[in-house]
Amino acid sequence: MQDTQDTKVELIAHLLRRAGFGASRAELAAATARGYEATVEELLNPQEEQRLSDYLVRRFHPELSGMMGPQAPGENWLYRMATTTAPLPEKMTLFWHGIFATGYNKVIHGKALSDQTRMFRRYALGSFRTLLLELSKDPAMIIWLDNQDNHKGAINENFGRELLELFSMGVGNYTETDIKECARAFTGWSIANRQYMELRSQRDSDWPYGRISWHFEFHPEDHDDGEKVFLGERGNFNGDDIVEIICKQPATARFIARHLYSFFVADEPPVPEWPYTPPADPQAIATLVQAYFDHDYSIGAMLRTLFNADFFKSPAARYTKVKSPVELVAGVLRLTGEFDRPRYEILERHSQASYMGQILNNPPSVEGWHQGTDWLDSGTLVERINFASQQIGDTDKPGIRAMLDRIGAELGAAKATSPERLVDACLEEVGALSVEEDTRRVLVNFSAGGQVEKGAAAARQHIADLLRMVAATQEFQRA
Amino acid sequence: MTTAQRANFLEYDRTMGMTVMEGRGFYYPVDTAVGRDDRLYVISRSKEETTRGIRVTICDVDSGYFGNFGGYGPAGGQFVWPACGAVDSQGRFFISDEKLHRITAYDAAGNYLFHWGQAGSGVGELDTPSGLAFDGADNLYVADTYNNRVQKFTASGQFLLSIGGTGAEALNLPWGLAADAGNNLYVADFGNDCIKKFSSQGEFLARFGSSGRGDGQFTRPASVAVDPEGYIYVADWGNERVQVLDAAGNFVTKLRGEATLSEWASNFLSINKEEAAARATADLDMEIDYFVDDPHEESSHIERYFWCPASVKLDSQGRLYVTETNRHRLQVYRRSR
Repeated sequence: MQDTQDTKVELIAHLLRRAGFGASRAELAAATARGYEATVEELLNPQEEQRLSDYLVRRFHPELSGMMGPQAPGENWLYRMATTTAPLPEKMTLFWHGIFATGYNKVIHGKALSDQTRMFRRYALGSFRTLLLELSKDPAMIIWLDNQDNHKGAINENFGRELLELFSMGVGNYTETDIKECARAFTGWSIANRQYMELRSQRDSDWPYGRISWHFEFHPEDHDDGEKVFLGERGNFNGDDIVEIICKQPATARFIARHLYSFFVADEPPVPEWPYTPPADPQAIATLVQAYFDHDYSIGAMLRTLFNADFFKSPAARYTKVKSPVELVAGVLRLTGEFDRPRYEILERHSQASYMGQILNNPPSVEGWHQGTDWLDSGTLVERINFASQQIGDTDKPGIRAMLDRIGAELGAAKATSPERLVDACLEEVGALSVEEDTRRVLVNFSAGGQVEKGAAAARQHIADLLRMVAATQEFQRA
Repeated sequence: MTTAQRANFLEYDRTMGMTVMEGRGFYYPVDTAVGRDDRLYVISRSKEETTRGIRVTICDVDSGYFGNFGGYGPAGGQFVWPACGAVDSQGRFFISDEKLHRITAYDAAGNYLFHWGQAGSGVGELDTPSGLAFDGADNLYVADTYNNRVQKFTASGQFLLSIGGTGAEALNLPWGLAADAGNNLYVADFGNDCIKKFSSQGEFLARFGSSGRGDGQFTRPASVAVDPEGYIYVADWGNERVQVLDAAGNFVTKLRGEATLSEWASNFLSINKEEAAARATADLDMEIDYFVDDPHEESSHIERYFWCPASVKLDSQGRLYVTETNRHRLQVYRRSR
């Protein structure tokens, strides 16, 4: 029976690492009691989300709503990732940010980027049609890919090209003519007060009264409403029609399915290699494609299929994904419970992810970040381990104090405390982590080196040091 | 009082300030204190990613600029998370620091005098002090935010009284404070969406308002001021507006903001002609379909509206100063009669 229970916990821990940012012991216990499929449903349809309130964040950090600099949108978002009880929408927002990668260096308007994040969050799990349409109207995206310069009779192909190449179908599934026709359909899709807003952005101007939010504006006089031929269909297409045509393409379904598989199951090669390298698990992709077409292009339906599939649940899939820096930081902050209120330190925690190679709202290119083992080099690995160990071993943090209290109470109550039990308790506290035998042996050896007595300061420090070592393990750094 | 009179209770006078990190202007101003001769002390909180911009600016209603003082840091006279200010009868300026958990005093010219405050939750200790107000005897009320109470101290920091217990008088993350002519205390009870009134001895007297966006309702009020007639002015921060109540707490009027170019902003645009020309082409007051029903969102688009009105203060002439954090300016209103 015990094995069966452990197996259940490990599977749900895997789900919560991938669909969220890991789980505390209490969250794991609740999810296990609920059951796997019910937990999947709760992730997909979170009820009564709780998180650190936006009002509190705004009160103590005016910049996190005024957003005149490059860091604010990311810090604001990190608060949410670190404190929400609805992690999957945040994870999916991160997923879309990685694909529809938009960067501050060109947009120079933090609020516009934060608004884009909010749009992703709102449509992350719905129909891909809605998401793509909202993306096409997103002011930050319009400026990022120059669609304000896409005019009737003088097209700018940037958005049209990336919409097909990076956002929906992938190269090899359309022609250069399709790109041009696509661009024609999006002429006149711009932002309001374009001249003034563009100038302010170019000058990084927040004068005289701070940033002014952007919003979409359609300019009918600048829209080419002539006939177009796009992906074999003919008509006086506007952008809405283009999105509809894109969404019904099998190539689009395969493209999104492969992205989801790579993000949630196992690393696929970088997108530019996709035309030449078949998916690692074609059957899994086919299953996800089927869900896409069976459910009106619903991303949520694809995820339900994915999380309930054997290819996801398989023990072989576990601990194979390197957490992105933001995932790692958010997961650690959830365990430490540091942000039970707004704190000045959010600045430093957010910066930590950049030291590890990821700055939110500042991807290296339109292609986003290279995921997987590309996150690791000798420099970033040191940053990752130092950060996780320092935070998880910090006994001033409320979440860590609570862990020490629980471990101390449990082991103190047990008559026979062993180094193994202490290691197990620590692994359980950070989200039912399973480590390789070699790693476990090192942890047990370390564990045997200290005396554990309930309430004793030295014993608490010993447990904290053990937690610190747990945070440095390969498994903790992975999902 | 007739409805018409109430509608005209306050009229817009002018806008002051603009966004700048140094010198003549403000950077995320969070509060304004009114000193002797109606000198204004505007507290710029700035943002965490820089040590610039954080300061107190001395100015007056006619946009006279008399310099800055203070700056980022833990040393005496410096601050990290400056929150609120108040001036005592001697003209000394006091400021709270939500990060260093202390109160710092300066003379009227901004020279550092002393600071006090001990972090903690015990009697006389502070956790994230925000709102400040002096009573008629120069005792200082301090909103002890995360201890969910207001404490009264002498100006030199000697503990006198704690206010806010359980039940009706309980406070939830109190923010701005005001004292009236009778030394009663008014608290912007941020977390409870209301204004609470206490006697100078800490006795709970009244609660004004409830949660919501309707007239007389509040969403996360930030600041309160009381005039000699007993009218209560509230920075209804989460609703991005200012409301006025009569002494009994009845709704009188509300303001949404109608900023124009300040003198400093006009000067800026007069020497940045390209930006002024582009601005002249823009419609900054347009009808927009909002993504969410949220005044904060609306204010981020419509520049003349209040955006994060964190403070309301009155000067000796009855002028009302609304400090707008995210628009880096003050809107000034005056009584119509």
